[in-house]
Amino acid sequence: MPPLLRRVLVLCASIFAVLTFNFFLFHIIPGDPIRLIARSQRLDPEAVARLRTTYGLDGSLPEQYGKYLSNLAHGDLGYSFSLHENVADIVGRALLNTLILLTVSTLIVVIVGIAIGVFAGSRQGTRSDSTTVVTSLVFWSLPTFWVGMLLVFIFGVWIGGLPISGITTPNAVYGNWFQYISDIGRHLILPTLTLAIVDIAFFVIITRTSLLEVMGEDYMLTARGKGLSRRTMVWKHATRNALLPVVTASVLYISALVAGAIQVEVVFSWPGMGLLMYNSVMARDYPTLEACFLLTSVAVLVANFCADLIYRRLDPRVTVGT
Amino acid sequence: MVSMQTSSGPSDAQHGLVSRRSVLRAALLSSAFIAAPALLAACAPPTTTVATNKIFRVGWKSDIDTLNPLTTVTTEAVEVQSLIYDTLMAYGLDLKPEPSLAASTVAAGATITYTLRDGVTWHDGTAFTSDDVVYTFDLIAKNSLGVNAQYFSDYVSAAAPDAKTVVVTFKRPQAFDPGLVVPIMPKHIWSSQSVDQIQKAANDKPIGTGPFTFKERKQGQSVSVTRNEKWWGDKPAAAGASWTVYTNDDLMAQALKNGEIDIIPQVPPTVFTGLQGETTLTSESLDSFSFHHIGINLSQVPGSKGNPLLLDKGVRQALGYALDRKQIAEIAYAGFASPGGSILTPSLGDFYYEPTGDAVIDNNPEKANALLDAAGYTAKDGDGIRQTKDGKPLAFRIIAISTTSTDVRTAQLFQATAAKVGIKLDFATVDSDTMASTVYNVEAPDWDIFVWGWDSGVNDPCYLLGVPLTSQIGGNNDVFYSNPAYDALYDQQATELDHAKRVAIVMQMQQMFYEDCGYLVAVYIKKLQSYGNAGWANLTAVPGGIIFNFTRDNYLKATPAGS
Repeated sequence: MPPLLRRVLVLCASIFAVLTFNFFLFHIIPGDPIRLIARSQRLDPEAVARLRTTYGLDGSLPEQYGKYLSNLAHGDLGYSFSLHENVADIVGRALLNTLILLTVSTLIVVIVGIAIGVFAGSRQGTRSDSTTVVTSLVFWSLPTFWVGMLLVFIFGVWIGGLPISGITTPNAVYGNWFQYISDIGRHLILPTLTLAIVDIAFFVIITRTSLLEVMGEDYMLTARGKGLSRRTMVWKHATRNALLPVVTASVLYISALVAGAIQVEVVFSWPGMGLLMYNSVMARDYPTLEACFLLTSVAVLVANFCADLIYRRLDPRVTVGT
Repeated sequence: MVSMQTSSGPSDAQHGLVSRRSVLRAALLSSAFIAAPALLAACAPPTTTVATNKIFRVGWKSDIDTLNPLTTVTTEAVEVQSLIYDTLMAYGLDLKPEPSLAASTVAAGATITYTLRDGVTWHDGTAFTSDDVVYTFDLIAKNSLGVNAQYFSDYVSAAAPDAKTVVVTFKRPQAFDPGLVVPIMPKHIWSSQSVDQIQKAANDKPIGTGPFTFKERKQGQSVSVTRNEKWWGDKPAAAGASWTVYTNDDLMAQALKNGEIDIIPQVPPTVFTGLQGETTLTSESLDSFSFHHIGINLSQVPGSKGNPLLLDKGVRQALGYALDRKQIAEIAYAGFASPGGSILTPSLGDFYYEPTGDAVIDNNPEKANALLDAAGYTAKDGDGIRQTKDGKPLAFRIIAISTTSTDVRTAQLFQATAAKVGIKLDFATVDSDTMASTVYNVEAPDWDIFVWGWDSGVNDPCYLLGVPLTSQIGGNNDVFYSNPAYDALYDQQATELDHAKRVAIVMQMQQMFYEDCGYLVAVYIKKLQSYGNAGWANLTAVPGGIIFNFTRDNYLKATPAGS
């Protein structure tokens, strides 16, 4: 069997295992959501039965599981307990909002993180290196929600001027698309800044460590012997090789963020996957949670799969299937 | 007999995470009012507002669940829908019924005849007719759809003899007019859908006949509506209304102070204290129609796993004497609640029963001890817990929903005061789903005591009094209280047309239920609302709230501040 095909099969099996686990996890939790929905409505048994059907809670557990799989195959993620709407639509909207935040913040975090990491790594042992490392470790250890709340306090209460909640201004009337996009842009500033403050450090540390390893390699000595400038050595020879672990970290970082930066989204009321998951937990909205978990698990699995492929392409010494 | 047709729901935490309660913008006409033929003349209030470009901006903690009136269960959604859809009758600022889509209503025997208002159109321009009303009533009644289906258990049929008349026939006279709560829906939009489709419809572009048209919804963030210039009534001054979700109470309070929103309909006590001191804001602590109570398992079915000692009225009364309601109101609710007692809230006016003198069962450890001593429950083995003669300890389990911090605190305070009279309470928290499935397990209820709440949502005693009816076991009756005398009185008051006589029966019922101690009503909750003085004026503070109440009139009658 070709190694790639084997990888794909393993991926599919993992996804299947995840969704099965996911289904049973939420269906063995005690409590009856229908009883709660029906409290005080004085529903007749027929109406209660119909509610159960609507929410896919009729029939035995294996039957429900079969139905879940068949619905999933048709792209039907179920019907939300709390939002009374198809989960696929709800998740679709949230995912789009998360992707906006994710794209902007990932680009900033990764690019700035690598740049600072290379800066520090190429100056090993100097004061600027140690300052960078210490600062990074301090920022990395800050709780994300705390940084977010601090920024809310500074920009929302003290200084003002930056929106602290939501993705657009309520009741805003836009004259054109540019105004609309710039409104979203303004709302992106604080959530992105929060993610950047905490997460840049992660890439700084990885890049720096990896760069130091590469700098110690023999071929770097050769490069130096050839009389290459320090800048050429660092950027053309060392950095490119040092980026291998950074690529893996970036892909995994993106996959983790598909779950929404939960804390950031909750602090800033950013209507993405994180806030959706938080609200769904609070509402015990199992169908929505199930879909969110499924999506995030699949995102991690697929990202891992992609990271493997990319790694192999960047470093031919690593072969798939070994 | 007039059947019990009421609305309301269980009262949830004040924190508004998820409104478990079915929060109906409904209210009852009193039996006297409607059981007798009644004619409500169409009398439009004088115009006091001038249309402006200003938006009425509300901030709240929970998003609406849906814009579909047939599936919604949250207060927030009903609030928004009440401005988009009209009902046949509506509640004014005095919380009394007024004509709305129906210019007049005549109730005679088991039929109610509505004469519809002229010149009403749907938001899409289609004419509104009696067919729409018949369609809506039929749809809800025949398919038991949504929270309003409970008003249609005696429904027989609805007919439209002409475009302006609807005759609704029930099996027997109705104390409650469903026309007060049912949002009338456009037949031309909904009739092409199957019941299953309707139950799953997001209705993301709702079309109603109401004073505001739907503008947009950003899920998890905001909903907004725009003034309907073609509405049949007096145009509201507000050019629109918007409701914005804030995930954080402090941010929301800050937004109110900054003037980004005009009003917060549910302010948590901790934040309210801060807002009260602001000179630019008006903060109101209003009576509500909610109470939180301690429920005691009275089930006598063979499968019941409740502690049988609780079937002893003396033990329950001792628990009542052990409960310090004032302390709970002050500590668990930071003073924003008043000590409870009867199953009816004081906001229900002359229907409310307040025990006095020896009838008071509250914060009296001496009396609790005397009762228990006399009944032979004594503490023998030095642990301070009383026992029966055959050695069974007076130890009970008590549960509360973990996210409802006031209930949790109530349980803890109760635990401490009960211990002082030798009763041990083992406290555990559960989630709301587990609470519902545990408490409502009719065949085998496996619990002793819980802390939970009810929210009447109607300006009539019928709903709350109806909770502990024998016929509601399996329905709302969460403590399995069953008292034939109480049930009989309930039917009597529901058909009593003389107000004073009805009040007397209602008093007797409350007294009976209070003494039986199936419920220990701990507190009546206050509704805390704050609004900016620079935003809107002419807001009337009514029991139940300026907004977020049975009446939508404050949205319609508000005028810009300083105008």
